[in-house]
Amino acid sequence: MHPLQREAFTSLDSVSIRVKEGEVFGIIGPNGAGKTTLIKILCTLIFPTSGKAYVNGYNVMDESAQVRRSLGFVTTDERSFYWRLTARQNLLFFASLHNLHGQKAQERVGELLETVRLSGRADELFMGYSAGMKQKLAIARGLLNDPRVLFMDEPTRSLDPGAAQNLRDFIKEYIVNEQGKTVFLCTHNLDEAEQLCHRVAIFDEGKIKVAASPQELKAKITDVTGATLRDAFLAFTGKRFVEDHHAERPRREPKFRHGVGLGMRRRGL
Amino acid sequence: MSPALGRLDLSVLRKAHSFILRSYTLQMSYKLEFFLRLFFAFFNILTYYFVAKLIGTAGAPYLKPYGGDYFSFVLIGIAFSTYLMVSLRGFSETVRDEQMMGTLEAMLVTPTDTTAVITLSALWSFIVASVRVFLYLIIGLFLGVNMSNANLPGALIILILTILCFSSIGILSASFIMIFKRGDPINMLFMSTSELFGGVLFPIEVFPPALQTVSHLLPMTYALNGMRHALLQGYSLQSLSSDIFMLIVFAVILLPSSLFIFRFAVNRVKEEGTLVQY
Repeated sequence: MHPLQREAFTSLDSVSIRVKEGEVFGIIGPNGAGKTTLIKILCTLIFPTSGKAYVNGYNVMDESAQVRRSLGFVTTDERSFYWRLTARQNLLFFASLHNLHGQKAQERVGELLETVRLSGRADELFMGYSAGMKQKLAIARGLLNDPRVLFMDEPTRSLDPGAAQNLRDFIKEYIVNEQGKTVFLCTHNLDEAEQLCHRVAIFDEGKIKVAASPQELKAKITDVTGATLRDAFLAFTGKRFVEDHHAERPRREPKFRHGVGLGMRRRGL
Repeated sequence: MSPALGRLDLSVLRKAHSFILRSYTLQMSYKLEFFLRLFFAFFNILTYYFVAKLIGTAGAPYLKPYGGDYFSFVLIGIAFSTYLMVSLRGFSETVRDEQMMGTLEAMLVTPTDTTAVITLSALWSFIVASVRVFLYLIIGLFLGVNMSNANLPGALIILILTILCFSSIGILSASFIMIFKRGDPINMLFMSTSELFGGVLFPIEVFPPALQTVSHLLPMTYALNGMRHALLQGYSLQSLSSDIFMLIVFAVILLPSSLFIFRFAVNRVKEEGTLVQY
């Protein structure tokens, strides 16, 4: 191989899905299945090498600005905030990137902090937040532009069972039932998929094996009494579903002080 | 100006304000580092002050076009070459820092264009550099540099053009960092050649004619030449016109081409899926 040539591999192959407005659509699959790549393509962070993708009717390649204007992205990565800014300062900064400024931004940020029940601690530094609070702030950030579609990449990944359930309740009651948002959710947690999603796609090795409601998926497994999504996963992929070990277990808070140039590199120390 | 264009400009200014406020707050959370850096800049200047004392009038024939004093000459050289260093490091380090902090992705899923995110992120570095340059000049005045005849409007025009040229080189450098992550040839090329050939520490007239040709290919040469003539000699705009013209030529070539290459780099890493890798 040429020294400047990069090794390429196919992370998504012939993926074809259509998500209805107001629907919570879940993608379940093991690590490395291509879930995050799919979300990143839909959020315009990665360009597909072939095929077409649309969000809210906008082409992710040709109309990427319109796509980004109409979506919200909730990442599980707590490093995506400035640790030495307060929650309010973080949200105000990201609000400006959504073209929200001045009083309008202050009001929107205040409203969202109230919604995710962080207003009492809004002026504390992000680095002092618990994993659950960080994730709530990530959701508040995803809602800054009042998007029609919200992309969530493993939103409860680093939370303890209680905090994860609270967050699921919030997603279901506020984001789905009250706000009527379309939610595109990647998860490594089958209970979460079952609780939140109207439809679920089983994803493996970059391909969608099947997409249906959790009930329909379970009903397709006729040889097991009281089949679960786990059984459905086994039936459609031929593999046992191994849930993420991080899931439902609190992540140890990093001991370093976060700032410019820190983060992953120090985690290895 | 159309109302839509006016709204666009206002939005860019408001975003610039947000980026500056963010960087200022982050920087002030490391106050000691910030003030130590400014404080130790003073020692750098002092070193050249005593070197100038040692040299005395030895370089007078070469320094005559700039007022004849080595300390004044080198002060302007060090002060304004700061902008090149900031440009070369500012944009590429911005890309790297945001990649490493994990904030780049969160910014790039907003409607703000990638080029704007990177450019506005580097603004704070230019503000700090300007504070530093201002301090250098103040220290210089206390140490006897004579700028009483300075042509400030002329210096300002040269400064703006200098920042445009150097920023373009910085954006080119950031494009390489985007794709190759490390090992940026633009940074290495300009870092190593500009100080030597750009006339930072000594006049380019010291070089044999062949090497002076290299100097004339660098925007640094015209930036420092113009700035010295404007601040130390008080040259009129007309007398500064040749340096201003050359800087405009560099800006006209470098700015659009660097933005074009940066967009190419962004598209390339989006295709490869390596946008947030470092």
